[in-house]
Amino acid sequence: MAVERDLKAILGNLKYSDDAKVLKQILENTKQVHARMASIKHKLVVMSGKGGVGKSMTTVNLALAFARQGAKVGLLDVDLNGPCVPRMLGLHGHSLAMGPEGMIPPVGPLGMKIASMDFFLQDTSPVRWKGPMDVSPVWLGLMEMNVIREFLADVVWGELDYLLVDLPPGAAADKPPVVAGFIPDLAGAIVVTTPSEVASDVVQKSVTYARDMGIKVLGMVENMSEYRCPSCGDVNEFFEGNTETMCEMLDMPLFGRIPFDRKLARTFDKGEPLLDETYPTIQRYQEIAGRIRTLLDYKRVLADKL
Amino acid sequence: MKFVCLNCETYMNFEKVEKPGESTLGVFFSCPSCNARFSMVTNPGETQMVSALGVKLGGRTVAAEPFEMTRGMLTEEAAAAPGQMAAYLNKKLQGGQPAATVAAATPGAPEEKPSSGCPFSAMVAEMGLTSGPKPGKGGAAPSEFTWSADAKEKLDRLPSFVKPMVQSSVEAFARKQGYRTITLQVMDDSRSESSNGMTWTPEAEKRLENIPDFIRPMARKEVERVAKERGMATITAQVMDEAKDKFMKFM
Repeated sequence: MAVERDLKAILGNLKYSDDAKVLKQILENTKQVHARMASIKHKLVVMSGKGGVGKSMTTVNLALAFARQGAKVGLLDVDLNGPCVPRMLGLHGHSLAMGPEGMIPPVGPLGMKIASMDFFLQDTSPVRWKGPMDVSPVWLGLMEMNVIREFLADVVWGELDYLLVDLPPGAAADKPPVVAGFIPDLAGAIVVTTPSEVASDVVQKSVTYARDMGIKVLGMVENMSEYRCPSCGDVNEFFEGNTETMCEMLDMPLFGRIPFDRKLARTFDKGEPLLDETYPTIQRYQEIAGRIRTLLDYKRVLADKL
Repeated sequence: MKFVCLNCETYMNFEKVEKPGESTLGVFFSCPSCNARFSMVTNPGETQMVSALGVKLGGRTVAAEPFEMTRGMLTEEAAAAPGQMAAYLNKKLQGGQPAATVAAATPGAPEEKPSSGCPFSAMVAEMGLTSGPKPGKGGAAPSEFTWSADAKEKLDRLPSFVKPMVQSSVEAFARKQGYRTITLQVMDDSRSESSNGMTWTPEAEKRLENIPDFIRPMARKEVERVAKERGMATITAQVMDEAKDKFMKFM
């Protein structure tokens, strides 16, 4: 007990110094993220809460829609353990190139700059880290957050109008809202759901958690709203739900509905994405991108039209 | 982490880091008064924790390389040569039963129905889904109010997960207004009531309709915020003008 009391007295007289320079480096890393992100006008994250709702497909098509409207677009795939954006855009097998100011991202369709964990992996190998990650999920979480930090800080994005970040799936106290939390000046989150009541339930949780983290949730995209049979042309609903009412309850706009479109999905599966802007499903993405753009510029809209 | 020399009652200085073996670090400290020195040796977990922070103990002498941590921490297996998975799959397929054979041999597996030509329509029909009205599954909570048939039908069409919330909200509005019966009109009126308790004049409501519908709720809130800042409880054309002026300044 005497030692403990003495230690308290000793510490009271000492001044702490960061001579291992750990805090200093963490601050520098944060500054580097801020510096890199400063040249990007609108940073948007796409999240879902529930896996398998078509979040990556939505992210990629929204990015293409912005690019089609003449914007400079970047797409960051931070689903570290299931990166699929490069494959969808025909960039699987490409890699980031070392440049004097950082890593230069490959350029995909319509001039989009793409970064993904996929560029560090060969073929279909999963992500495997050195070290005892199996005994330390805490370490793994820390590790993954810092990998994402490197994606934000070390990629030479240049001047962009939009950076869309495809977050990994996950709901409440999970990575997505935390990742979104460390993107400086984040414009907000776009939430993807299906009309399934199960998906809606989980999505509501992730919206609540994101808002608790101070992330502005801009609105929702309903994916797989309906299915058009390629044989008979019948259009049917896939799920029983009501996303419009859910959006009303969550006090956010529903940006639009996207049907399940096998033809479009297949082109992305093959890495040869359909880019024809007259194609009906692509037109829906265009409309949604237009609404997002209007929402991001809502102060101007209010000044013009109120 | 800091160490204190209890003899000299001072913090020890960080000196250097060495790597005495795989997955371990030796971090050296010394007392600036008595020159006592010691080394703290980390276990693999602690070493990884330091690496995961993306920092170098003692600071950097050269700037970090892009993706230094990501590239440094990926195992060699993860960056395996192309074709590894193909070889693995080939081996598996050659060495085991084809998937189709396994499925056919599964006891009790339902016999596959002949194709009807439109598998998706059949699947949707089996799920009992149509593109018609959606019946609600959740039962209505016991109510002190009488719901008219059409209002009840509208409530029942809502998904089960929102029905209780909507019912509660409409009934709270009806209670406040002194209604005993809930009609479609009461449901509509309950939606129009501002959550801030503000009243909108018809003229102000009409001007709000100039805003695209998907950002109208946001516009409503912004205008109500302006009114609140000015201590007003009714949204008039004048409040709308003031809100418009406010947003002009952002342009």
